Amino acid sequence: MSELTVHQGRQVRKLAFRAPAELSELLGEELMPETPCGGNGTCGKCAVYATGAFSPEPDEAGRVLACQAVVTGDGEVYLPSRRSVRQIQTDGILEAWAPVPGGRGWGAAVDIGTTTVVVRLADLERGVLAPPLCAENPQRMLSADVIGRIQAAGEGKGPILRRMIRETVGHLLDEACQAVGIGRDDLARTVITGNTTMLYLYTGRDPEPLSHAPFRADCLFGYEEADVWYPPCFGAFVGADIYTAIRASGMCRRSETALLIDLGTNGEIALVHEGRLLCCSTAAGPAFEGSSIRCGGVSTEGAVDHVSVENGAITFTTIGGGPAQCICGSGLIDLLACLLAEEIVDETGAMEEGPYRLTDEVALYQEDVRQLQLAKGAIRAGMETLLLRAGLTAGQVDALYVAGGFGTVLDLENAAAIGLIPAELVSRTHVLGNAALTGALLELLGPAGREEPILTNAQCLNLSECKEFTDLFLEAMLFD
Amino acid sequence: MSILQDISQAMQKGKAKQVKQLIPQALEEGVSANQILEEALLAGMSEVGKRFRDNEIFVPEVLVAARAMNMGTELLKPYLQQAGVEPKGKAVIGTVKGDLHDIGKNLVRMMMEGKGIEMIDLGVDVEPQTFIQSAIDNDCKLICCSALLTTTMNVIGDVVECAKQAGIRDKVKIMIGGAPINQQFCDTVGADVYTPDAATAAEAAASLLA
Ligand code: B12
Repeated sequence: MSELTVHQGRQVRKLAFRAPAELSELLGEELMPETPCGGNGTCGKCAVYATGAFSPEPDEAGRVLACQAVVTGDGEVYLPSRRSVRQIQTDGILEAWAPVPGGRGWGAAVDIGTTTVVVRLADLERGVLAPPLCAENPQRMLSADVIGRIQAAGEGKGPILRRMIRETVGHLLDEACQAVGIGRDDLARTVITGNTTMLYLYTGRDPEPLSHAPFRADCLFGYEEADVWYPPCFGAFVGADIYTAIRASGMCRRSETALLIDLGTNGEIALVHEGRLLCCSTAAGPAFEGSSIRCGGVSTEGAVDHVSVENGAITFTTIGGGPAQCICGSGLIDLLACLLAEEIVDETGAMEEGPYRLTDEVALYQEDVRQLQLAKGAIRAGMETLLLRAGLTAGQVDALYVAGGFGTVLDLENAAAIGLIPAELVSRTHVLGNAALTGALLELLGPAGREEPILTNAQCLNLSECKEFTDLFLEAMLFD
Repeated sequence: MSILQDISQAMQKGKAKQVKQLIPQALEEGVSANQILEEALLAGMSEVGKRFRDNEIFVPEVLVAARAMNMGTELLKPYLQQAGVEPKGKAVIGTVKGDLHDIGKNLVRMMMEGKGIEMIDLGVDVEPQTFIQSAIDNDCKLICCSALLTTTMNVIGDVVECAKQAGIRDKVKIMIGGAPINQQFCDTVGADVYTPDAATAAEAAASLLA
């Protein structure tokens, strides 16, 4: 008997079969990707990444057509996950967009996110931006988070991870160039930003040093190679995406005291004060993406996205307006804030009465509140650690910049009510959207200039070595 | 005896200062150190553990309670030694090599101390060999490994291997835990016991060492 291992998102199935067999037969109706051409092998839409014994062999990119391939022995295939992200955040505030003096031709900015990849072209001569293009990061088929990808690379999947992302970026660049009537070779310059792991995988480096303490990255980028500029990373878990987001915020250009946070799984935070930049990553985990929450989910059709209290009754809206199927990050924060206001959850996070039901199917459970406490506690404690190190209190911060798509759907008042961000900063918060991409566009225009010394002298704190972190974390898990 | 209840209550609420005041008072009233330990501190910690396991209270409350308990046991230590009270077994604990997460590990340690077990805490980023050597040197029958990263959890397998090579595998029990660990993993690497939380971990340790 041979074995076919089928990866889909986090799910892994093993199918035993007698080789040779048609891949489409083995996958069956449930797992088989869509075949718009009717399984004739002409449209290429059912291509999946594969390793092992296939006929015909996987192509250069490591893919086979699910409708055509025959499995001739043991093999593995990676199917696209079914839950796709509905809205991909591509915009961002561009503060200073002016033609580059002496700039020629088109440049490209690429943001390789753990979940999505965005590409945007800029006409360097005239200072015009083409519309952004985006795609899912296909590496998600192997694992949702950064540590999972590092682990996959450690298990020999580095080359396939590299091919996946190279191909996606390549396609997006081709498409973007085509849209403005140039060829890819005509691009004058490309800037590729992303977290440290993403850049490691894109450039084919082995991320092994990022997999264990002391988490010392052996490459922090900040170099140009074949007309591609990779902005610098601050550390193993504070990457070039934070560097470019900081540039987009302008926080190091003005002489202000400011915080920047990225509310993703890594929960990166940066603080600038008196010309010194301090940053860290808080490892909040994916709770705000709906993972590890019983009825949690990503922001797709049917997800509860906003919750409020009206005349003493808790009401909610869903994406698309249909029946509630799950709660996404913004909804979770709103709901928790409402339950605190109504004293259904107390200041320690305890629920007196058991799960709180929004509908028959969708509810918030006690253990969900605990997961949210860990996530919001980690982010807030990271912020407080940086402030403490700089000898500041939250009230002394002039501005809080929120990077990433999540910020645009987040209710800031409620984020403060659950203690995710300091209440003093609600009115001083600037939501940036995809700041990593915006900053990459700024990098296209030229080097950081005045900001440069602050950015190069930044200090990246390892919170596991910060004695005060644990106490701040314990405190930040509670509600006041 | 109500002073024992007062101590237990103060400890459960994490009121270390009150615990510090009440214990000398109880000793003065003639309550034995051992009785204070067993009926106030350890009983109180059991209660805290139960409420934590049932999700009624969370990490911050448990840690403040555990700190109050520690404060109490420190006070009692000289009296217990004088009275010749022995700890209920000894165990080593640590976070495995490559991993620096220690909040969960500390909770487990404190809950185990709350069962009267003497704990040798090796800290974080602990080499497999260090677990084994420390168990041998201190004559421990239990080794507890914590791992929070999927990239470092496999080090637990190395600890088990190391114990075999040192020839002590049949003399020690190896308990493991941390967010990514489950029973299946425990079986695969050949460790002895997995539990999902600190309270059940302490119960399991107490019965292993009994
Ligand atoms: C707090 C935290 C940190 C703190 C750690 C502070 C400290 N001193 O420990 C800081 C910010 C420093 C940190 C850093 C990192 N973290 Co971190 N961290 C977390 C977080 C938010 C909570 C962990 C925690 O303390 N939980 C509370 C305790 C009480 O629970 P627990 O540890 O699970 O322990 C319980 C049980 O597991 C059990 N148990 C534990 N040990 C043992 C042992 C035995 C023998 C037994 C029986 C039972 C048992 O009992 C405990 C109590 O019931 C989680 C995410 C989350 N939401 O859970 C991420 C998380 C664990 N971190 C993660 C990562 C990746 C990191 C980093 C590597 C990268 C980064 N993004 O910064 C760094 C480097 C860490 C390092 N140097 O080793 C990932 C791991 C992902 C994975 N797939 O492995 C997580 C899951 C977040 C995520 N999804 O990205 N982190």
